[in-house]
Amino acid sequence: MSVDVEQAPAALAALPARRPGGPYRLARSTWTVPVLVFLGFFFVIPLGANIWRSLATGDALTQGAFVFYGKLLGDAYYAGILYETFKVGVIATALSLVLGYPVAYFMVRHAGRWNGVIVFLLIAPLLTSIIMRTFGWRVLLARRGPVTMLLHDWGLIARPTNLADDPVAVYVALVHVLVPFMVLSISAVLQQVDVRLEESSRVLGAGPLATFFRITLPLSLDGVATGCILVFVVTNGSFLTMLLLGGGKVTTLSLLIYQQFNVAQDTGFAAAMGNLLLFVALACLALQARFLRRQGIRP
Amino acid sequence: MTSAVPLKLIEVSKSFGSLQALKPLTLGIGGGEMLALLGPSGCGKTTTLRIIAGFEAPDTGQVVIGGVDVTDLPPNRRGLGMVFQNYSLFPHMSVGANVAYGLRMRGVPAAERTARVRRILGLVRLEQYEDRQIHQLSGGQQQRVALARSLVTNPSVLLLDEPLGALDKNLRERMQFELREIQRRLGITSIIVTHDQEEALTMSDRVAVMAEGRIVQVGPPTEVYEHPRTRFVSEFLGTANIFSGIVADRAGPRSWSVALDLDRSPRSLVESDEALAAGHRVLLAVRPERLKLGPPEADGIRARVQDVVFRGSYFAYELAVPGSPGPVFAYAQAREAVPADGIVGVSWGAGGAIVLRDAP
Repeated sequence: MSVDVEQAPAALAALPARRPGGPYRLARSTWTVPVLVFLGFFFVIPLGANIWRSLATGDALTQGAFVFYGKLLGDAYYAGILYETFKVGVIATALSLVLGYPVAYFMVRHAGRWNGVIVFLLIAPLLTSIIMRTFGWRVLLARRGPVTMLLHDWGLIARPTNLADDPVAVYVALVHVLVPFMVLSISAVLQQVDVRLEESSRVLGAGPLATFFRITLPLSLDGVATGCILVFVVTNGSFLTMLLLGGGKVTTLSLLIYQQFNVAQDTGFAAAMGNLLLFVALACLALQARFLRRQGIRP
Repeated sequence: MTSAVPLKLIEVSKSFGSLQALKPLTLGIGGGEMLALLGPSGCGKTTTLRIIAGFEAPDTGQVVIGGVDVTDLPPNRRGLGMVFQNYSLFPHMSVGANVAYGLRMRGVPAAERTARVRRILGLVRLEQYEDRQIHQLSGGQQQRVALARSLVTNPSVLLLDEPLGALDKNLRERMQFELREIQRRLGITSIIVTHDQEEALTMSDRVAVMAEGRIVQVGPPTEVYEHPRTRFVSEFLGTANIFSGIVADRAGPRSWSVALDLDRSPRSLVESDEALAAGHRVLLAVRPERLKLGPPEADGIRARVQDVVFRGSYFAYELAVPGSPGPVFAYAQAREAVPADGIVGVSWGAGGAIVLRDAP
């Protein structure tokens, strides 16, 4: 694993720059044609159409082509929606990180042969449809549901109330879905962190906490960044959870898009909002790529 | 720099599940001494080191460092230094930050920290490398940074876990001397774990040979090499030819003649401090360099040369001896080699054969 760094460039130079494309080569570039055609029809063209749709036409054109974007970024109401979207994303990401990191750490360092079981338990909920999962939470959190009754019996709430239709329910359901992404992102990187680095730190006089914050956490930041960006972007894009569990109290951009499209039928404005969401997601990914590059060479 | 601190293991044992990795082991290491734990993989040497470091809790027994029982202390409160096989340098820190880490954890003020880091980097001849990143260093340089990092805190005991295992042969030999020199200069009690017998013999004051979770023999390198107690030790430390035979007669105050099972003529001499009785079965180990090759008609075991290899300062022979289960190896410093298929007579002087303690 540890290649002598001084020798590495020489070893690389000795390799041919590109594999010779001889008659025995198996993979051919023509094999990518089907998937390129598919992506062209169902990814590139719809995206282009959506950009076209988001530009003003007809009467609205008198106010400029970007009238929808102007409304979105200028209007106080929509600024509030953007803030709400950002807030929900940050809170869901933070909760997933706080809950997910310990699980990832336990999986990598202590689970041993139980690792597979934990991975299965993490992924299993993702195998049911999001609607089933969300309605499941509605049942659990209903006025006469098991969670409510339990909290009431323990005296934590005065009288049984409907816990669904509340921002808390939205966060619970979001974290439920998103924690696996966080755990798997972090554990993939944590696996690369040699346990002997932690042991070295301990011998050098650092306690468990100092070792975690000075060695383990900095070396697993790549995984933390990947997990956070993944969770943040997915939260921004989800609207079913807010729709079914928010009780109208959590209105994010994606939920608004859904409403604009289906209720108000304002497709132009909905398209503009969709593009803004897409832009935020791309910006996050660019940020992550930059972050990973900054980390430099890492074995 | 460091006052020498002795280390003691008292009846320390450890099991992993049903596997007894370490049978109750008692071992004392004197202040300033360099002890090598030598053995094949799975013999318990690494477990012993990890128990001393505090990474594993022993099932029974105590670890005593400088008169203090540290058995229940966590690794960070034992005041040890440790060098790992892969160096375990922190990849996200510079050379200077790596070396300063232990001082920072002890709350040493910044000014003193800088001075001590400089001094220790000077000791390992890496003064100008303080600001380098770890991945910019060669294997040997990384090894020296790891050593500096473990020494800068003035540890009471230095633990070395196969410290030179990842280096190539030439560098390894140079580092053996360098490491030994630094250890002597600082007078720091050290334990080196290795499976390389040459490394153990070169670097240590005493060698403890381990097998299957226990120490088979402890002693100075020359003693363990010249007087291995068991067949395992004789074969693990260098090459040994094993012969079995029956004691025939007393030949001198400390020597006996033995009739080997190979040819049953009572002429092979054996030296032993312990009294041997005629008629006893014994197992003998003879080092290849102690075997003498002579003309076949001389008094010796007749052997046929299967192969001969020139090794620079000597010839290495592989000999076929009738009645012997495997080939016999001999190193001879003659000007000219006996060619393959030549017939020779093999013999040894009285001190050449070692009586092993194994049941023959």
